[in-house]
Amino acid sequence: MRKDKARVTGLDASPIIHIDQELCTGCQRCVAICPVDAIEGSKGQPQTVSQERCVACGQCVQICSAYASIFDDDIAPREQKIAERGLLPSVKEPLFAAYNRGDALKVKAALTNRSLFTMVQCAPAVRVAIAEEFGLPLGSLTPGQMAAALRKIGFARVYDTNFAADVTIMEEGSELIQRVTTGGTLPMFTSCCPAWVKYVEQTYPELISHLSSCKSPQQMAGVLFKTYGAKVDGVEPEQVFSVSVMPCTCKKFECERPEMEASGYRDVDVVITTRELAQLIKDAGIDFVHLTEEEFDKPLGTYTGAATIFGVTGGVMEAALRTGYELITKEAVPEISMNFVRGGEGIRKASVKVGDLTLKVAVVSGLKNAKVMMEQIKAGKADFHFVEVMCCPVGCVSGGGQPKVLLPSDKPGSYVSRTANTYVHDENLLLRKSHDNPDVQKLYETFLGEPLGHESHHLLHTHYTARK
Amino acid sequence: MSTNLNAFIIADPNKCIGCRVCEVACSVTHTEGAAVTAGMIDAPLIAKLYLVKTATVTMPIQCRHCEDAPCAQVCPVAAITQTKGNIIIDESNCIGCKTCLMACPFGAIDFVPVYKNGQIVSQNGLQVETEDGLTEKEMVVASKCDLCAGHAAGPACVRACPEKALEIVVPKQEKKKRNVDAAISLQDAVKKFIG
Repeated sequence: MRKDKARVTGLDASPIIHIDQELCTGCQRCVAICPVDAIEGSKGQPQTVSQERCVACGQCVQICSAYASIFDDDIAPREQKIAERGLLPSVKEPLFAAYNRGDALKVKAALTNRSLFTMVQCAPAVRVAIAEEFGLPLGSLTPGQMAAALRKIGFARVYDTNFAADVTIMEEGSELIQRVTTGGTLPMFTSCCPAWVKYVEQTYPELISHLSSCKSPQQMAGVLFKTYGAKVDGVEPEQVFSVSVMPCTCKKFECERPEMEASGYRDVDVVITTRELAQLIKDAGIDFVHLTEEEFDKPLGTYTGAATIFGVTGGVMEAALRTGYELITKEAVPEISMNFVRGGEGIRKASVKVGDLTLKVAVVSGLKNAKVMMEQIKAGKADFHFVEVMCCPVGCVSGGGQPKVLLPSDKPGSYVSRTANTYVHDENLLLRKSHDNPDVQKLYETFLGEPLGHESHHLLHTHYTARK
Repeated sequence: MSTNLNAFIIADPNKCIGCRVCEVACSVTHTEGAAVTAGMIDAPLIAKLYLVKTATVTMPIQCRHCEDAPCAQVCPVAAITQTKGNIIIDESNCIGCKTCLMACPFGAIDFVPVYKNGQIVSQNGLQVETEDGLTEKEMVVASKCDLCAGHAAGPACVRACPEKALEIVVPKQEKKKRNVDAAISLQDAVKKFIG
């Protein structure tokens, strides 16, 4: 059955990041931005990607400006390039040298397959960016239109990664408390960012034990869709086709990791980026801007403000502190918005009084900055309890799968408004702490038991692989 | 210099890395709707400057806004004129005869299809024989750098270049600056030898 499923989903582990040899001019702006020196080649010559070192963050895809011009007559026809890239034939946008493998065709095929029960999840950062592809101002917040569009495209259940982000906080917060109180390995690193996880595996395998064993929200959602979600709808797990919409190109890598089948099936069948979802919406002829807002489906689409700030640097830390504080002290957190962990690219450090404990935390944004932190930890010069690392410049809102801002001058503004509207969304939600999510509470009461319990351990936690 | 010479944009081949951001910026600025993200674009990027890349030189080439504008002199329908220090093509009057392309010593003029709302614009009446039978022939017009006339922020390519390889040359200022530089360097040389 599992073998058949792999065939149905078209699971392929082909490389995610590519550079079109016909289009690359060798300007090497991608080389400068790549956090892991994975791009090779001489100046002025087409560059190539070392798939071994590449963490698939997609920042090269974002910065590349070497496009296929109608004046270039010595390149393959556009139709051929569209097919090579796995793009929908209806895609009209310009093609650039650096690109990620497209998977929207698989989603389109699944949506017309009547034997499948399709479930979709969207990461927090998608809702502050997708509208840009339809001409709305940079950073426009449109969760309601996004949910409506997904339903119109034909998904049977419009669920949300944010639900799983709340679950992640329950698990990861409990894991942190356990490590602190039982003398476990500290500091504990967040494990939501797949590019960061691959980086630790290949560059600092000796520090793997520091990574939280929690799966990322995407993978927690995926496994819950095919277990709890299938039960909720009374469908067989093998019928469920699980699609994930991510601001991230590396999430494609994460979903294809061999161990990500705790449900008994591939937990997430296909990952598409924010850009690919916009292409699917256009392909379906949907007028996104004028859609009436709709809600996500319950129960796996219910979320709190703590979940939606996962999309920005410092967000996982802030969400964990909101819940951790209340679980430890049994008192309400004095100030829900924690500006001391918010910010931009770089490293931020803070000490937080949690009852009798002074929790020392650090937030790292941009993988190049992580190296500094890792060397300090190896040298025993960093006595943090908890370290959040996000690979992309200001967290997932600046991810490699987000709408590609064409001009360098527009980029800082796009980061600022996507971040600001993420916090606006958090502030306007009724519930802002993960442990207050009623459907998460119900999930634990009726299905999982307790955080770090037997079921959680089996479904929501994972292990890592040294790649050195 | 008694007259105001036309300004123009020129690239420094020692700085240019060939990234084509200038072309992207040019194209976006000259497209209706002013796209900010790639996904907003539903027609090919068509720039008015062209990256040249050979084994020895990398730089974009664009219109010099010549004082005697040979392109304007040869245009049979007077579609090319000088307006406020800017040689401008009125694309709606262009008949696509390509005489300007032949007259321009820089190859700064190209002939480009016209898009409206993502759809290619066809010529009135003229049809072309293809394998699929007769189809409408696409409209093609002369296109070149207009110094981003009408855009308050100035030329988009200059602003977008990450290497600051492009600059606007205002000949009168440039000449004066060079005179001053020459005077200073002469003075330095004299000081060096005479003290």
